[in-house]
Amino acid sequence: MQQSFLTRYSAMKREKLRYGWAKAKRMKVCYLFLLPYALLFLTFFILPIATSIYYSFTYYNILEPPRFIGFQNYINLILQDEVFLTAVRNTFVIAVITGPIGYILSFLFAWFINELPRWLRTVAVVVFYAPSIASNAFFIFSIIFRGDAYGYLNSFLLQFGLIDAPILWLLDPKYILPVIIVVSLWMSMGAGFLSFVAGLKGVDHALYEAGYVDGIRNRWQELYFITLPQMKPMLLFGAVMAITSAFNVCDVPRALAGYPSTDYAARTIVTHLFDYGFSRFEMGYASAIATVLFLVMILCNKAIQSMLRRVGT
Amino acid sequence: MSKKQVRHIEQVKSANRADQLRFLAELRGEVQEEAPQLNVKKFLIISLIVVAILVAGILVAGHQITAIEDRNYQIEQGLLSGDIDGSVSYWLLGRVIAIALLAVYGFFMLVKLARPKRRKPNRSFWGDLGIYIMLAIIAVAMAFPLVFSIASSLKPLDELFRFPPKVFPSHVTFDNFSDLVVTMGQSWVPFSRYLTNTVFITLAGTLGHVIIASMAAFVLAKYDFPGGKLFFSIVVTALMFSGYVTGIPNYVIMSKIGIIDTYWAIILPAFAAPIGLFLMKQTMESLPTALIEAAHIDGASEFRIFWSIVMPNVKPAWLTIMIFSVQSLWNTNAATVIYSEAKKTLVYALQQIQAGGIARAGQAAAVTVIVMLVPITIFILNQSQILDTMASSGLKD
Repeated sequence: MQQSFLTRYSAMKREKLRYGWAKAKRMKVCYLFLLPYALLFLTFFILPIATSIYYSFTYYNILEPPRFIGFQNYINLILQDEVFLTAVRNTFVIAVITGPIGYILSFLFAWFINELPRWLRTVAVVVFYAPSIASNAFFIFSIIFRGDAYGYLNSFLLQFGLIDAPILWLLDPKYILPVIIVVSLWMSMGAGFLSFVAGLKGVDHALYEAGYVDGIRNRWQELYFITLPQMKPMLLFGAVMAITSAFNVCDVPRALAGYPSTDYAARTIVTHLFDYGFSRFEMGYASAIATVLFLVMILCNKAIQSMLRRVGT
Repeated sequence: MSKKQVRHIEQVKSANRADQLRFLAELRGEVQEEAPQLNVKKFLIISLIVVAILVAGILVAGHQITAIEDRNYQIEQGLLSGDIDGSVSYWLLGRVIAIALLAVYGFFMLVKLARPKRRKPNRSFWGDLGIYIMLAIIAVAMAFPLVFSIASSLKPLDELFRFPPKVFPSHVTFDNFSDLVVTMGQSWVPFSRYLTNTVFITLAGTLGHVIIASMAAFVLAKYDFPGGKLFFSIVVTALMFSGYVTGIPNYVIMSKIGIIDTYWAIILPAFAAPIGLFLMKQTMESLPTALIEAAHIDGASEFRIFWSIVMPNVKPAWLTIMIFSVQSLWNTNAATVIYSEAKKTLVYALQQIQAGGIARAGQAAAVTVIVMLVPITIFILNQSQILDTMASSGLKD
């Protein structure tokens, strides 16, 4: 029985492969269309991930050929590198706060502005979306949070007597992380936000009317029973975008808190990676960091996707 | 339950009931009541006059206050003879009242204009009001840093470092921008070189990206061939890769191919950006398959179908991916893959100025404004097309 099942299974597989091959031959032109993109994509997106995983098991400093050292990089990372643990903690604090809050806020704002008249909605979309595309406009926060009395926040607080000495917002380890979180939240209305705005515009109005006749009483019920289930694809897309931006915080801490920052208070996994990869040229070690980050992001994404699938069901 | 609560609940119920009945009647076409139309022209003229009067009042008050304070200061220092003028506080009070009136009026105008003429049935007035207030506050907070950088770039140096600092400049000047030109003129590589580099990279990268990604998206969306679905799911996962995770191996790979320190090191990866393929494929899926089949029957080749039937039909989509691509290429500093100064990008050069510290604070603000204006302007000009495309951006299971 076992034997016959196996042979049947393999025969089926072979048949399927043969069929697939024949189909592939028939649709040669499709592969021709895909080829340029696939080639570049494999070279610059898939191959790097594979090489990164390979390098993470080696000692590699660009000058000498990579030397295989097994799990040594990972062991060092977890057991010896205290800065890495700080970086992990900081990254998680930033990601756990900016990720969900940014995500929920961008959905709520998209939902609120959806009911405005057209011209006002356009203005609102531009205002909310502008920070995330304004290049390195977050540089301006280094003036707002400047540590002396000329810094705008400091002088404001001083004038109102809330503090009696200027606070070193960007140098004091106590304040660096909150400042980075605020700036990241400011920039968090990205592609996901646009996707929400567009998706909400496309929800069928007949559904709302039907829901109203069926006794939906207020906007929150409408949101939960009609809008959210309709928006599921956009919610999934927004989640991918939110996770990406929440875990890859790097430019903001480097520009605001300095590199390296006081007591490594603004060290994130990506700045750590940057440090080892492009300042110390320990490519093997940096690759191990990259691999860890990559795995964390994939896992997080899977968890959140399975959570979002249950929305409204 | 207290009496008050009971009454409240009954009120809500009956209100809802009345609303519901009216709505149902409207659905059946029994009621054709029109909301009293607002005379827009009259309304706008009146508001314009009111706002103009209030703004003029605020400006005059501000001018008077500084003038009187200056005079008083000089009298105190013994530079001028005369009595100290005590009317400052009246002017101050007047200004505060005018600002408050302006805020209230502006807010009511906003509510008036923001509430759609044909309201959705289950929206309470107070809920709408709360949402408008919240949105207004948050929009101001979101816009503040950008407005602030524009204001800072227009300030003379002494105002950048005054205490207490002011958000808006009292003497508008374009010195920072002209200083920037001077600084850039003294740089080792002429400024126009950085600009040309960035423009070239942006144009070439975007053009190639749109063509290559659309070709791939076309077959992925419209043909069912072995491996297509798998490939697309890998691309979706790749949406999460940031440039940092793949940065190191990318460097090694690029140096093996020999494109380090050439424009190709930026352009080639940009060709394969996953977001472009993703958005394009999602949009093309909504094109009717019958269109393509009809073209097939008429004897068009695949390339012809792609170029003269599919591409013209997805114009909003390629405008969108163009904009995403322009944004990311315009903002690359590419410091890790480009070494020669003559090949560096604009953003890299501008970041060097921003790093110049306090002495260049004004110029740094000017730089920020110049760099951010380009992507924001492009977005504003194309936002309706972008939103059309993003409507199909959902990730289906």
